[in-house]
Amino acid sequence: MTNVTHDLLGAIGGVPRPDVDVVVDARDVNKYFGRLHVLKDVCLQVRRQETVVIIGPSGSGKTTFIRCVNHLEKIQSGRIFVNGHLIGYRETADRRTLVEDKEKNIALQRQEIGMVFQRFNLFPHMTALENIIEAPIHVRGMAHDQAIGMGRALLERVGLAAKETVYPNQLSGGQQQRIAIARALAMRPALMLFDEPTSALDPEMIGEVLEVMKELAREGMTMIVVSHEMGFAREVANRVVMMDDGVVVEEGAPDQVFSSPTQERTKAFLSKIL
Amino acid sequence: MSALRSYGIRSVRLAGCLFVLLIVAGCAGKTGRAGFNFDWNVFFQDLSPFSQGLLGAVYVTVVVSVLSQAIGVVLGIFAALGKMARFLPFRTIANLYIWIFRGTPVLVQLAFGFYGVGAAHLWGWDAFTLFGFKITGEIQAGIVILGINEGAYMAEIIRAGILAVDPGQTEAAKSLGMTYGQTMSRIVLPQAARVIIPPLGNEFNNMLKTTSLLFVLGVIETYNHYNIAQGQNFQPFEEFLGCALWYLLMTTIWGFVQARIERRFSRGTELSSGGGAGPRNKGFAERFMALKAPIEQ
Repeated sequence: MTNVTHDLLGAIGGVPRPDVDVVVDARDVNKYFGRLHVLKDVCLQVRRQETVVIIGPSGSGKTTFIRCVNHLEKIQSGRIFVNGHLIGYRETADRRTLVEDKEKNIALQRQEIGMVFQRFNLFPHMTALENIIEAPIHVRGMAHDQAIGMGRALLERVGLAAKETVYPNQLSGGQQQRIAIARALAMRPALMLFDEPTSALDPEMIGEVLEVMKELAREGMTMIVVSHEMGFAREVANRVVMMDDGVVVEEGAPDQVFSSPTQERTKAFLSKIL
Repeated sequence: MSALRSYGIRSVRLAGCLFVLLIVAGCAGKTGRAGFNFDWNVFFQDLSPFSQGLLGAVYVTVVVSVLSQAIGVVLGIFAALGKMARFLPFRTIANLYIWIFRGTPVLVQLAFGFYGVGAAHLWGWDAFTLFGFKITGEIQAGIVILGINEGAYMAEIIRAGILAVDPGQTEAAKSLGMTYGQTMSRIVLPQAARVIIPPLGNEFNNMLKTTSLLFVLGVIETYNHYNIAQGQNFQPFEEFLGCALWYLLMTTIWGFVQARIERRFSRGTELSSGGGAGPRNKGFAERFMALKAPIEQ
């Protein structure tokens, strides 16, 4: 797992962007749930090896936004590029409207984007190791032996080598989340999305999950993290993005955002949680 | 007894049923009105698995049931997915199929599918030979029509099973790059199976008994075998009682098999924190029966 930032998506459609160092490029993304406007012209760029932490009150659209990045949610307008490839949609010939891409192509794009969920979503009918090797074998077509070798290495890396044959419901929340991270890493993604990975955990388990994430950031993984863990953001993030009411209110280096926020809404939010 | 109970089988109930049946038979022999005498000889003779043609008839019942149920499950999966499809024509076809086959008697479907369709020269149901066995048109029609009928019932069961799986599972599978087909076959359906299998077991239990309707097509299965026998010896009490016992035997054996299958599919759902999913951990069936037991007794 050293070469996590290798060039990807070579064969997949979309318009290559000139700047190869930008992994995620979201432009004027708009999203509605019925009449509710949850994302309002959201723009965000994430560069290679960067860790971006999105903060903001609940209902601000931060979770919805990262779900749009791997097309678990549809968007109504705007463009999201990952490694230069348009996610989830094809542009029509005049480049003005978007048509949802074929399910197969979307699946191909998602292979390069790892996602970790708030509620872990491990497959309960598979052991820890089976959870990890499932996608490499059946999606990537990796040989069984090779997948098992890689899976064991990943288990070791998240500190759960002893839990290889254990089913998820016999693991603590923190252990489950570490397995979920290993499962996402097994696909060797170019980008990792974390959707409030510690929100469903007991306080004493938060640390072990954050430790794995810090390690990942140090190794140069490109990450977008939606989190309320301000300590983690301060320590690990290259950039902190504050969202409120579907809008990116402010973004900047963690020190700047936490110590001297420029926007009133950021100040109000931080005063409540810090 | 505890070994039996661990498979979720009410062995006491089984013994009780047999006992009651024999008492009834015995009483009928002694105190029957209008001079009826229960003929133990004929009863045991025709109940015996070695009686002429019986095992063949039971074999037909079992094989037809298994094949029909298999067809039913496959069609049920497609109909369930069709019902949940985003594409309107799929939904329409699935709903139409379920509506028709749940809304008409299976006896009418059998008669129409075999005699009606045959008379209209739409499909001949010609006999063919497979592995040296001659498969008659009647049996083919029976298997296919019962299977199609069953699919309409399985559709709702399978749909309920799929809906019982946490949507987060689908999202996790998608986020790993799985296609719809992979997500369904590797992640959703195996988990739905846990919910589907108890009602599926009941469906198969029903199927074993429903195959008796094939007598209208002239298939010699268990019921028809005894029906023919009572037509020859004019002893319907002994013959149909024997027939009932054979069905009871088949459904009881199935009860054992079902409990084992349910244990198999409860992998990963044990609530205990220690150890792996070994044989010592309670299965779904067992926990289910444990829940039910105090209410029944």
